[in-house]
Amino acid sequence: MSARSAGQAVPALEIIDPGLQTTVQDYPGRRGRQALGFFPSGPVDPLGLQVANVLVGNRPGAAALEIPLGRFQAVILRAGLIAITGPDAGVTLNGEPVPLWEAVSVAEGDVLSCAVIRGAGYRRYLAVSGGIAVDEAFGSRSTLLVAGIGGHDGRALERADVLDAYPAGGARQRRRMPVSLRPHYTDSWEIEVLRGPHADPDFLTAQDFEDFLGACWRCDLNSDRTGVRFNPHRFQWARTSGDVAGGHPSNLLDTSYPYGGILAYGDVLTILGPDSNTSGGFAVIATVAHAALSKVGQLRPGRDVVRFREINLHQAAAMQSHLDQLLDPRHFETV
Amino acid sequence: MSAIITTAEPRAGRPKVTYRTAGDRAVLVEYGHTIPVDLSVNFFAHASAQHLADHPVRGVLEVAPGLRSLLVYYDPAVIGQDRVVVALEELHDDIPEPASIVLPSRRLTLPIAFDDSASREAVNRYRISTRPDAPNVVDGNNIDYLVRYNGLPNREAFAERILRTEWWNAFTGFYPGLPSLLPLDPRSEIIAPKYNPARGWTPEGAVALGGPCLVIHPIESVGSYQLFGRTLPISNLVRQPRSHRIDPILIHPGDRITFVEVTEGELIELRRQVFEGRYDYAIEPGRYAVADHLKLGSDPEVAAEAQRRRATRGAAQELVKVP
Repeated sequence: MSARSAGQAVPALEIIDPGLQTTVQDYPGRRGRQALGFFPSGPVDPLGLQVANVLVGNRPGAAALEIPLGRFQAVILRAGLIAITGPDAGVTLNGEPVPLWEAVSVAEGDVLSCAVIRGAGYRRYLAVSGGIAVDEAFGSRSTLLVAGIGGHDGRALERADVLDAYPAGGARQRRRMPVSLRPHYTDSWEIEVLRGPHADPDFLTAQDFEDFLGACWRCDLNSDRTGVRFNPHRFQWARTSGDVAGGHPSNLLDTSYPYGGILAYGDVLTILGPDSNTSGGFAVIATVAHAALSKVGQLRPGRDVVRFREINLHQAAAMQSHLDQLLDPRHFETV
Repeated sequence: MSAIITTAEPRAGRPKVTYRTAGDRAVLVEYGHTIPVDLSVNFFAHASAQHLADHPVRGVLEVAPGLRSLLVYYDPAVIGQDRVVVALEELHDDIPEPASIVLPSRRLTLPIAFDDSASREAVNRYRISTRPDAPNVVDGNNIDYLVRYNGLPNREAFAERILRTEWWNAFTGFYPGLPSLLPLDPRSEIIAPKYNPARGWTPEGAVALGGPCLVIHPIESVGSYQLFGRTLPISNLVRQPRSHRIDPILIHPGDRITFVEVTEGELIELRRQVFEGRYDYAIEPGRYAVADHLKLGSDPEVAAEAQRRRATRGAAQELVKVP
């Protein structure tokens, strides 16, 4: 059964400029299937996607568009509400600037244009009232590019694609996220991590882990939904080789990777993104706290720098409860 | 905070268990020791996953096995890390002695064409675009390198190792539906170093070796294992009408694969039948008793031959360049 017949979905957007690699994503994505080789997919910045949905009255996890680098243009095919989150400035409707982080009423024929993000931050999210209507694949509407599944035909959007949306259902209140609650973007980030699973003393030396926390890491241009890669760094390692698993001390017998894990692929650290491979034979020296994953989605390849800060489980829980608060619609203003 | 939460020493058929923090929503549970590759430990990981599926722990969301590990995701709003570890410790106590472990395991038979032209194409592209002097590329393929690295007399001996054993799917991962297979017969053990750097393109259906594992590529993708043949499609992710459309992931964790040699011409015809929805995959439901594996491994002749082959490989590796 197609998405269109399932929920009386109707055409909502026609793509004029799809931008760099715009995809349909939902949250929490394709969970529960890592044992079959699926990482979750879904937004690299889960906060951005969920807030965009809440602004237009959708479920927080409804399918929406993820727009890396910000560039995007589409014609509105159905009147309703839209909301864009992410780095501000450069978004217009019929040539007039529109605010981000708030629901905007749109009419059929309106042209939405988003310029390349010049300042801090990297990904925008566009939600339409009702939510983007595409078929589920393996329990999620999220696009997984490498396997060609989910989203719109399993691929990034192209010019002239028409995206459907589900009915919005009744009159909806336009919401705005208060400025004080919006995330702060920068080009120099601090990202909270938990040590392990493969850190000191058995994989890294204590000094190595200190160096990991002390260093300033530059995001490599070769970063995308599969992972954020950093400049090479030579650790001392607490062992001399990877035994049967391979020559390098970062090698181990293949294991399933945690989402958000920071992988030591030889001398190159990579934060495993939502479309990463699910397993492999390399050490994961630290794991990004769940509530800090949204920051990873706003790292600009080739420009931003990161310092990692170690936190414990209590601090991670506190961060998570703060994040949950942010998504509570009662904290939003009505427009 | 240490990355290692706690360890439990081996006791009564239980391997050593190491619990590691994997973020604020997962625990990585490692069984046994870093070396050697030990199928019994993988069976234990499967038994734990199965036991957890049969006796769910509230707040534990999903588990994903590795060669000697389980990644256990949990919801920290429902259960704390310390309670997850306690629940897993209790669970491990309920796993029977290895000789009594019986796991759900289907038997699948797949045709394989050795040294097929799609694999050779992938190797050739690698040679041209990535590394002209790769020591693992000999005469446009990786098989002759695999033969040398394992101290085998010829390609026939290599094919025999692939064909004369059942291959156990130790875990599925990397890409959707990609199985990592280990030989149930220790005499078929083959080890291969990985590509350096990785290969940019691998055909769907390619069969390759890396470390101790044999893999089948479910989709066209990058890769770093040594290619030696091709089989049928093993995934149907986009749900085209094919004969295994009931289950888009053909090979599940704990399944056993037997390869049957075919010519490339025959394979191409069989692949056509799959794409046209006319092919019925050979799948037998069943269970696997770990006792069978232990019995084979403890047969003195089998053990001696496996040891001899291991020693031959060890000597051969000294003479072969690693990529």
